[in-house]
Amino acid sequence: MAIRHRSVAVAIPAPRAAGRLSARTREALEGMGLLTPTVLILIGLVLYPFFYAIWLAFSDKAVGSPGQFVGTRNFEYVLGWPQFSAAIVNTAVFTVSAVALKFVLGMAVALVLNQRIRGRNFFRAFLLLPWVMPAFVVYLVWRWLYDPLSGLINYALMDLGLIASPIAFLSDRDTAMTSVIVAHAWRNFPFYAISFLAGMQTISQELYDSAQVDGASRVQQFRYITLPGLYHIIGVVLLLTTIQTANAFEPVYLLTGGGPSDATMVYTMLVYVMGMVNLRLGEAAAVSTLFLPLLVGLVLAVTMLLQRKARA
Amino acid sequence: MRESLSIRATTYALLALFVLMVAIPLFWMVTTALKTNKDLYEDFSYLPRRPTLEHFVRVVQREDLLTNIRNSFVVAATTTVVTVVVSAFAAFSIVRYRYWGRDWVGRLILFKYLLPTAMLFVPLYAIVVTLGLGNTLKSLMLTYLSFTVPFCTWMLMGYFRSIPPELEEHAMVDGCTKIGALFRILFPLSAPGIVASAIFSFTLAWNEFLLALVFTSDHSTMTVPIKLSMMVVGDQYIWGQLMAGAVLASVPITILYFLGQRFVVQGLAAGAVKG
Repeated sequence: MAIRHRSVAVAIPAPRAAGRLSARTREALEGMGLLTPTVLILIGLVLYPFFYAIWLAFSDKAVGSPGQFVGTRNFEYVLGWPQFSAAIVNTAVFTVSAVALKFVLGMAVALVLNQRIRGRNFFRAFLLLPWVMPAFVVYLVWRWLYDPLSGLINYALMDLGLIASPIAFLSDRDTAMTSVIVAHAWRNFPFYAISFLAGMQTISQELYDSAQVDGASRVQQFRYITLPGLYHIIGVVLLLTTIQTANAFEPVYLLTGGGPSDATMVYTMLVYVMGMVNLRLGEAAAVSTLFLPLLVGLVLAVTMLLQRKARA
Repeated sequence: MRESLSIRATTYALLALFVLMVAIPLFWMVTTALKTNKDLYEDFSYLPRRPTLEHFVRVVQREDLLTNIRNSFVVAATTTVVTVVVSAFAAFSIVRYRYWGRDWVGRLILFKYLLPTAMLFVPLYAIVVTLGLGNTLKSLMLTYLSFTVPFCTWMLMGYFRSIPPELEEHAMVDGCTKIGALFRILFPLSAPGIVASAIFSFTLAWNEFLLALVFTSDHSTMTVPIKLSMMVVGDQYIWGQLMAGAVLASVPITILYFLGQRFVVQGLAAGAVKG
């Protein structure tokens, strides 16, 4: 298509050799001109900070001071810190459990919504609500639901006689991480559900009809028709959301602040505490730089998956 | 058929479970905002016994939430206008022009779309302070472009690609310039996509938390998310007001989203009919 419209562009100006060249140059200049603001934004607000962060990690920069190159001192300090190893473990636990929970919930909701049910459009819109709501609102609501004194969950559990005394969900080491994961999964499962549902609706009904004729059970149909039909979407969704989940900040900040005693200290929270509370920008940047290789690996994997799909 | 009956029963049972799972926290948010403090803390009840709007009145009067709502609105609206213009030009340029470096910008946009803000807030903070923009709404309007522009450009690129270039080509044969064709043909045809990208950009800016938390430090510059999160620490008996604030913060976004969904669906349907 690009070739075709270039030939049209060429047909308009005077048909001289020089005119042909200048039309092409003009197109290039015009195109670059339109792209300039975006390029400036990408350079100034993405590329520059990205590399600046890496420089910061090797400096003793604090707010208000210029900062000197200090070699790998920040990294040595950070690596020797117990909070850092806690952050690695917690980030891994949070990411893996939250992604697994969202996947199972999202798949179950998509399977239900893919059935012929009455009022499907209404239910689809309704079950999307947690994801439409601002994330900070969701976490404030969950903080209130978990409240040990007047929260709904404790009241309901005691009403039903399931517990004798209130549970301090967010300030008990045993329950804090699970509580944060549940709240996060509640807010984010709809993204999995709508993605999987969209994928399911592209799978031909004929496949299911002929499977039924052959006597395949529902489980077999799911295993041999639905899942294979969703492979690409599952891949993209899992990679994309693994990146987002590993970098989640709001659930931890708004529910527990990383506590109790670092039980929910994920790496983003640690970067925030180091940089914004302790005002040690160098060490904060060192923490995020240490997580960079993993993140870039994941990002490149998604980029390749998406571009392959765009080309196909 | 026995199997299909049991499957229908399971389907509806699961559906009921999911609806409850989603409904209960939302119900609790709304009813908490409508309950009296007595119903909230002393004499627990599942339903508001004496529904009242006093928490809404208090969060507006005592906490001056309107200032924060205005801040959020100004930041989100400015970000949206700049984003839509910049992204529409960028997407048009990448999809319809041929020149060197185009693909690299496309790749960089996707990379940024995936790169989380958590990776960038420390250096962005240092940059904002250096520019003398610390604790201003301008710092948010500027830095929010770092995620709204890549997101909307990426979205509009897909949208513009779905519109056949022949129409613009015909206009250009009739003597229209390429930019003229953009304004007269491509923009009107992609109106639903542009509206959808505006809604996404507004929502992203309205909901943004981390940068606003880091960049702004007093009430007059705080956006709604930060103001409400600061109220949590303040007073123990503030949940009625907090949930009232949460309702106020969610309503515009929820409405926008469902309006936007219509535009997105319309746009997709129109694209499909045109083939």
